[in-house]
Amino acid sequence: MRAFFAMTRVSIGQLLGRRWVILVGLVGLLPSIVMLAMSRTQGAGRLAASFQEGPLMTLFTIVLPLTSALLGSVALGEERREGTLPFLVLRPRRREIVVAAKLLAAWLSAWLIAGASGVLAAIVLGLSAGIWQMVLPVIVATGVSTLAYAAVFLLLGYATRWAVLIGAGFLFFWELGIASAADSLANVSLFRIGLTAFAAMVHGSPGVIRDVLASLTPGVWGAIAKVLVLSGCSVGALSYVMRHRDLT
Amino acid sequence: MTTDPSLAADATIEITSVSKWFGQKVAVSDVTCSFGPGITGLLGPNGAGKTTLLRLITGLLTPSDGTIRVLGEDPRRAPAVYDAMALVPEEDAVYTGLTGRRFVEYAAVLANAPAGRAAEEIARVGLEDAQDRPIAGYSKGMRQRVKVAAALVGRPRVLVLDEPLNGTDPVQRAGLIATFREMADRGHTLVVSSHVLAEVERMADRVLAIVDGKLAAAGDVAAIRAAMHDIPYRVKIGTDVSRRLAAGLMALDGVISAAVRDTGLLVETNDLPGLGTALPRLARELDARVIQFEPEDESLESVFRYLVRRR
Repeated sequence: MRAFFAMTRVSIGQLLGRRWVILVGLVGLLPSIVMLAMSRTQGAGRLAASFQEGPLMTLFTIVLPLTSALLGSVALGEERREGTLPFLVLRPRRREIVVAAKLLAAWLSAWLIAGASGVLAAIVLGLSAGIWQMVLPVIVATGVSTLAYAAVFLLLGYATRWAVLIGAGFLFFWELGIASAADSLANVSLFRIGLTAFAAMVHGSPGVIRDVLASLTPGVWGAIAKVLVLSGCSVGALSYVMRHRDLT
Repeated sequence: MTTDPSLAADATIEITSVSKWFGQKVAVSDVTCSFGPGITGLLGPNGAGKTTLLRLITGLLTPSDGTIRVLGEDPRRAPAVYDAMALVPEEDAVYTGLTGRRFVEYAAVLANAPAGRAAEEIARVGLEDAQDRPIAGYSKGMRQRVKVAAALVGRPRVLVLDEPLNGTDPVQRAGLIATFREMADRGHTLVVSSHVLAEVERMADRVLAIVDGKLAAAGDVAAIRAAMHDIPYRVKIGTDVSRRLAAGLMALDGVISAAVRDTGLLVETNDLPGLGTALPRLARELDARVIQFEPEDESLESVFRYLVRRR
């Protein structure tokens, strides 16, 4: 376990130490700015619904996928492309440990940024309208969705250097396009998994959240179970690939 | 006891009929050899397949054909092998954001080594003064040394080094060679790939030459040269009467040519011992003074040149 946590700690340092993370952090201010603008023009009674329609959707459709996709794809992919992978894998431990440590690092880093972005917007809401019950659901929902994206992009980032581009295509064409149009496909949308947890924790979600979720049933534990299965599959698949394919 | 020079006694690494191809390109072709305690130099021109072979040994690559065993195990399937094996890669495979000390400590944790080992290895490679600086600011030579320290921290029985002396200055080079020799003397297996022939000659007990992905020669340098029957020996002979001695030498059996140079003669012969025996007698007869007799091509460089040219 000592090695696992050392790998996670060093990886978080590497991920958050990149210069472009500052830019990602600035994009993370977007939900708060939107919330701030809304609080100036709308009355306190309307702000709870507005928070979910504006800042929350900005968080889940822009900030969170962008952050998680970027950090997830570089976590192991750049080790491979920069030649540092042998340092991690030529060790007396199973590949699953390396992959799981990388996933944990990517997830925690992405959650830190996306979660802080959402919490900041929720704090602006709290200060403007005295509504504080959004903070916890935002933390849980961002945690769930960042893990889903990190799991998928860890695998994708290892396989190709175009992972982020593919991720952008997935987000805009699949998640926001096709999956939004066809209710039955909402199940295979990563940000919606987090939103089901959010919707289950916040009573009286506005129409926009219900529309986005389509056929999905709100539920915290169901969402957590889904992302855990997704993460397990990602770790298993990546470990298999690393055991059976060339590592350079 | 093996007589095949490509096979080592007490082998810790065994490579049997290994080939590796990437699409249409064959990087390593049907190589069988083994490595045992001591330092084995792996030589070859750029693109010969040295790095591919080292990556196959360490399990970073899967052989397309054949088998590799390190300490009796397949490195691709038994992670426990890495308790006893480490790699110093050729690339700048270091975390530039970490300090040298943090990097080696990290390597120690991953290798299940005791905490104090990192400081010992940093001292061994002479990086104490720079250990708290980020690796991003290290020179190429310092990065090489920090990689070596990170590899040594687990005290591996088998150490695979890909061009470990690249970028090091003469003092650093001497220090690293001394470290490698010390490990070899303690019975560790070291496989060192290099194109800096003089250094391989200084440190390696045994040499394997790879050309175009194939094993071109194996053994010690003199033995490899002696096995190359089809290539004449070249000998520099320093003398005060070049032309007369050249004419006399041409009459000897085995002498192919004798070219007059500024400082003496350059003789090509198929029979080096015969030339060595006949020369003093000939010099006496011609009243010539011989001040130099130096086989030009018993150096690793010339052996290597021959091997490459022969392909």
